[in-house]
Order: sequence, then structure tokens, then C-alpha cells
Amino acid sequence: MEAKKIHQLLIRFNSGVAEPAEIKQIENLIVQGAIHMEDIEGFEKLNERILNLETPEPSISLDDRFHQMLLKETQATKTFDWKSFFTWKDFAPRLAFASVTLLIGLIVGYVIWSPQKEDEKIVALGQEISGLKEMMMLSLLEKESATDRLKAVNLTQDMDQASKKVTAALLQTLNSDENVNVRLAALDALRPYSKDGQIREALIRSIAHQKSPLVQVALAELMAALQEKGAINELQKILDDNETPSDIKKKIQESIQII
Amino acid sequence: MIKVRDGHLDTLGLLFARYKKPLFGFFYGMNRDEELSEDLVQNVFYRILKYRYLFRGDGDFRTWMFHIARNVNHDNFRKNKFRHKESIENWQERLGTDENRVTEYQKDEERQLLELAMHRLPEDKREILLLSKYQDKKYKEIGEILGCSEGAVKVKVFRALQELKAVYAELEKQF
Repeated sequence: MEAKKIHQLLIRFNSGVAEPAEIKQIENLIVQGAIHMEDIEGFEKLNERILNLETPEPSISLDDRFHQMLLKETQATKTFDWKSFFTWKDFAPRLAFASVTLLIGLIVGYVIWSPQKEDEKIVALGQEISGLKEMMMLSLLEKESATDRLKAVNLTQDMDQASKKVTAALLQTLNSDENVNVRLAALDALRPYSKDGQIREALIRSIAHQKSPLVQVALAELMAALQEKGAINELQKILDDNETPSDIKKKIQESIQII
Repeated sequence: MIKVRDGHLDTLGLLFARYKKPLFGFFYGMNRDEELSEDLVQNVFYRILKYRYLFRGDGDFRTWMFHIARNVNHDNFRKNKFRHKESIENWQERLGTDENRVTEYQKDEERQLLELAMHRLPEDKREILLLSKYQDKKYKEIGEILGCSEGAVKVKVFRALQELKAVYAELEKQF
């Protein structure tokens, strides 16, 4: 469009008499760059005044809030970063630590799970338990309470095969424990081992130590059951003792006759 | 901004110092509420931090920032439609009665009238004039923010100024 026609168009627009079609024409000319905002009356001044419109200053709390947010984000980013995780400087010690841990794990695993048959393990475990029971029994025998000592004697009945240490402890109990019940329990516990020559002899010798009629009778019955002729002399001594009650004498006499 | 995108977050502080005022001015021009405008500025920088990896680096940071600012403003407008209306009422209340207004306008009549005229403009027209102000009349960049051509932006500015001029003239007659 000619400059003259554009000028006329602008005059009409600035006077406020431009038709809608003419305004559309002006818009097209603006798009094409033929008319600038400054060409329109009042627009430049208006633009300038908009530019000079003052706005209040944002408060200091905006800065505080922003810096807090930035700090939070910076810390969150620093906490974990794959890129820095794989940086050799940081990665090398981690790798070394992981390798050493893995190696230790493998060695410990090998030691714990070294080739060993299950049966062997069970046997070893059984032995350990027996050892523990034995230790417990021996320590219980030392207790002052008769109940505890009874418990100790009863523990031996759970053992498949008592050791010499255990039988010796039981014989000691049979000969010297002050409580009759404990002595009787010890005799009862020794019964399975009476086939052993040494234990049998110890039992015969024990007859002379016994003052309690109940234990004497129990021993006499055991000797009768075992058909132990070596015990007759010892039993005879009880019979000869004047302090022995007549009922007991009768019982012992019966046992001697059986032998 | 490229540094920020690549993990040097501290440098965002410099961008904040440089752009907090124009951003605040843009929001304040839109809602006339200082407290809300500060919240929105904070929101813009929060989004810049959150979506920093989306900054391609081939464009102007200010354009990208105002693009986010515009979204933040629209989201806020949608969320607080009721409150927004209320804030306009508050703004009008602050102006007081007609008599008071006349007294106030005598002090700085032109500025007050222009502010009132700006506020009477529809939201999109007010927005284009504020973007024009804070983007230094770079219509191409404004077009990138609005998603339209440079020519279309010029026409929008033309229409907004045309309406502003009319509203202003009307207000001048009233007071």
C-alpha cells in the first residue's frame, strides 16, 4: 500500500472514525511491518507510561524463602548423584570396601559350611549336649538344696552312657550325701551300671557306709538281684550289728538267702 | 541457566537477584496483591529448579522464565478463582469512595488512572501489555511465550493499547 494511503488510514483511525474493515486493514499492515505502534497517536506515550508505572519492591522474606528452597534442593541433590557415585575418586574406595566384604563373607561361609557329613555334625552336637548335661549335673550335686541334688541325680537317667566322672560322682553321693532320698536316687541311677566290675565293687564297699535302713535294704535287694556273693560278708556285718532293726534284718536275711 | 541445569544450583541465586523484580512486577500488575505476587515468584523459581533439565539452552532464559510465570499465574487463577475476585474487590475498596478517589487522583492523577484502566482491561490484554513491558517489547520472544507468531503478538498489543486508550479516556471523563 502506498505511504499516502497508509497515512490517510492512520488519520481516520486517530480521529476515531475508522470503520471495522479499516481497523482490520491497519492490523494487517502492523503484521506486515508497514505500520509501527509509534505511528498511532497516543500509543507511544501510553507505552512509555506503562513502562514507568511503579511497582512495590518485593519484601526481604522473598529472598529468605528463595534461599531456603535453594539450600534444601542443593542438599537433596548432593545426597545422591549417580554421576558422582561412579566418579573413580569416590567409587574406588567403595569398590574396595565391597570387594573386601565379599571376600570375608566367602571365607566365613566356607569355614562354617566346610564339607562335613550331617551325621557327624549331629554326633558332635549330641556330644556337646551330653557334655553340657554332665557339667550341669556335677554343679547341681554341689548345691546345698536336696531338691537340686535330686535333680542332678535324675539328670543322669537321661544320659545314654554316663562317663566315669559321672558314676564316681554318683558313688560319692551314695556314700556321703546326708539326705536319704538323694542316696536312694543315686543308687537307683547306678543300677544300670552295676554290671561294671568296678562299680559293683564300689557298691559292695558302700554297704558298710550306710546307716539308713532304707538304703541298706535297697542295696541288699540290688545285690540279690545281681547274685553278688561278694556282698554276703558286708551284709552279714549289718545283721550282726545290734542297732539294726529286726524288720531290716529280716529283709537282709531274705536277700542273703536269695544270693 | 545452563550452569544451573548442569548441577551448579548456586548460580540460580544470581538469576533470582536479576529477575525477581520484573517477575514480581508482572504478577503484581496482574493481581495487585503483594503477598500473592511474592508467592508466585517463589513458585516460578521452584518450577525452574524442578524442571531445570527441560531448559534446552538454545533460547533466552527470560523468555523461558516468563513462559513458566504465565503458567503459574494461570494455575493460580484457576485454583483461586473465588479468591481472585475477592482480591479485585479489595483493590477497589482500597481506592475508597469516588470523593476520595478524586482527592487521590489529584496527587498523581495520570498514574492512578492508568493503573485503574489497566486493571479494567480483560486479563489477556493486561497480560500482553505487561509482557511487552517486561520483555522490552521483544514481540518475537513474547510470541514464543504465548505460542503465536510475532505478527499476532503485534496485533494483540495493538488491540490491548486501543482498549486501554478507550478505558483511560472514559475514566478521564468520569473524574
